[in-house]
Amino acid sequence: MLIMKDINKIFQTGDIQTHALRDFNLTVNEGDFISITGPSGSGKTTFLNIAGLLETYSNGEFLLDGDDVGKLNDNGRSRMRNEKIGFIFQGFNLIPDLNLFDNVDVPLRYRGFNAKQRKLRIEENLERVGLASRMKHLPSQLSGGQQQRVAIARALATSPRFLLADEPTGNLDSEMANGVMSLLEEINQQGTTIIMVTHDGILAERAKRTIQVKDGRVSELEILATQAIA
Amino acid sequence: MFSYYLKIAWISILRHWGLSLLMVCAIALGIGAAMTTVTVNYLMSANPIPHKSEQLFYVQLDSWDVNDPFDHGKNPPDQMTYTDSTNLWKAQKAFRQSVNAQTFAVIEPNDPDLLPITADGRANTADFFAMFDVPFIYGSGWTEQADNNKELVVVINKETNDKIFAGKDSVGESLKIGGNLFKVVGVIDTWEPKPRFYDVTTGAFNKSADIFVPFSLIAEEKISRAGNTNCWKPNGDGLAAFLAGECIWTQFWVELKTEQDKKAYLTFLNAYVEEQKQYGRFLRPIDNRLSNVMQWLENQEVVADDAKMMMAMSFMFLVVCLLNTVGLLLAKFLGKAPEIGLRQALGASKATLFSQYMIESACIGLAGGILGLILAYLGLKGVESLYGDYMQGLASLDFPMTAFAIILSLVSTVLAGLYPTWRACNIAPAQQLKSQ
Repeated sequence: MLIMKDINKIFQTGDIQTHALRDFNLTVNEGDFISITGPSGSGKTTFLNIAGLLETYSNGEFLLDGDDVGKLNDNGRSRMRNEKIGFIFQGFNLIPDLNLFDNVDVPLRYRGFNAKQRKLRIEENLERVGLASRMKHLPSQLSGGQQQRVAIARALATSPRFLLADEPTGNLDSEMANGVMSLLEEINQQGTTIIMVTHDGILAERAKRTIQVKDGRVSELEILATQAIA
Repeated sequence: MFSYYLKIAWISILRHWGLSLLMVCAIALGIGAAMTTVTVNYLMSANPIPHKSEQLFYVQLDSWDVNDPFDHGKNPPDQMTYTDSTNLWKAQKAFRQSVNAQTFAVIEPNDPDLLPITADGRANTADFFAMFDVPFIYGSGWTEQADNNKELVVVINKETNDKIFAGKDSVGESLKIGGNLFKVVGVIDTWEPKPRFYDVTTGAFNKSADIFVPFSLIAEEKISRAGNTNCWKPNGDGLAAFLAGECIWTQFWVELKTEQDKKAYLTFLNAYVEEQKQYGRFLRPIDNRLSNVMQWLENQEVVADDAKMMMAMSFMFLVVCLLNTVGLLLAKFLGKAPEIGLRQALGASKATLFSQYMIESACIGLAGGILGLILAYLGLKGVESLYGDYMQGLASLDFPMTAFAIILSLVSTVLAGLYPTWRACNIAPAQQLKSQ
């Protein structure tokens, strides 16, 4: 469970203060699939970065599975990120020098799995996204949709509780985007909590909950009736 | 994780091979220059007889002119008069003692087909060989009795034995030196202590002698004296007057086993000088000194000031190379900011990333060190060809120097990598992930 209570994030540039998040409150339950929408500069990505422990917050309370994130040091945050959170980015963020196998291997190395465990997980997850046969390829040899699938395989390799996706279909055509969304839905059905930032209203509606962020606050919370019934 | 870091470092080096090569070359140039001068200094200042350098003492007595002190009064004379060295030798107050001086001779081989050979010689007393652990292939040195009886005996080196006796055991053979027939009593193996501590007055890095003959033969005019001679008052005519005069040209060494022996010997020296004062000698205040091997080499400034200066300059050059490396590493690591941000997102802590990039720095340092060693080797060959015989044996990289070069390059590069790595590890991941 992810709980944010009155989270504020202020960026300071010289004498100028910018409030990216203001008294931001949100609870994400186990198995949720939440889409975050809102205009540019509304604070969606800042929220996602704080949720992913990539950024600190100015004040407020943030509990992740009961742990107070504010009390963690760099090592603790890194460990929690590695164990509980998977990331999917708009730009895929694969390491260009490493083949697919080695790209998926990165978080597993930091987790401390042995070689046998790593191989098993890499093969399993590349299989899951349909790219097991291309594990020796470099990212540059794949299409955008395939690269995003590799990024998903990498995010899932450590079996995270939370999957944070920042515009995961932003660089894909509609067909590929649809394929990636279907994959995310399938992953969510298997129990992984997903928080997705998107500009695409149609894709946002495919989530179980949609949250509108405006001026750094949660402005609207809507549970899609159809998915709630499901 | 170490093997993983190595793998990542290797991939990164290959990916940015141009930048990596520049860094390797910068480090190699710095290490090459530093190691060339460090090696020369190291070998110049090496202990030539480490196992007993603390027990061997060079003896100095101040017999010089009261009105014009030797070395402006800072040091007693660096050699000894014939009178004093023979008196001290005859007293036999030390565990071992040896008078020695440089000589020069022409050897006429027994084989009429061989031409006469000019040889660098050393006139010394019997203890010389045991004191300085001179290694023998055949035979041994002569006895004290041979010194006293002024016997025509000679010890030759391996090179001379190879030339004249084709390398066979020549002990007992006759050898015509300076017109006199000498009996070979020993053949020594290659023995080239660097520095040539037992006589630094004629060049601390000169070759060892080809032949060794009893010191007492100089007075008998059986062998010619050579080397440095300094006199502070005129002598009469002839060798006898010269030997009785106040000219310094001999070196006197003693072997003393304990600190107590050293104190006792110094007391003996003081008593000797007091006695000599009664004969109108030693007009200056008593300043008798016993310097062990390393003290003596330092006193004689065997490592030249210009060599030290060159070493300091080469280290400054290394610093310049490292500053360039800092800039190149900074460019490389900051260029990898998106990857660093991603690795942080995937669970790498700052400490983990720090280790990874320090290992990459160390790999570059290792490659630079190896290339630097090759450059140092070439540099030493250049020094050797410039200075010839003077640098023979000094211009070589031994194991400690090789290990030092590798450690120096690793430490230097790791130090150079600290700031770029620290900067890289403090990159804000969120910003990098969004910008990709």
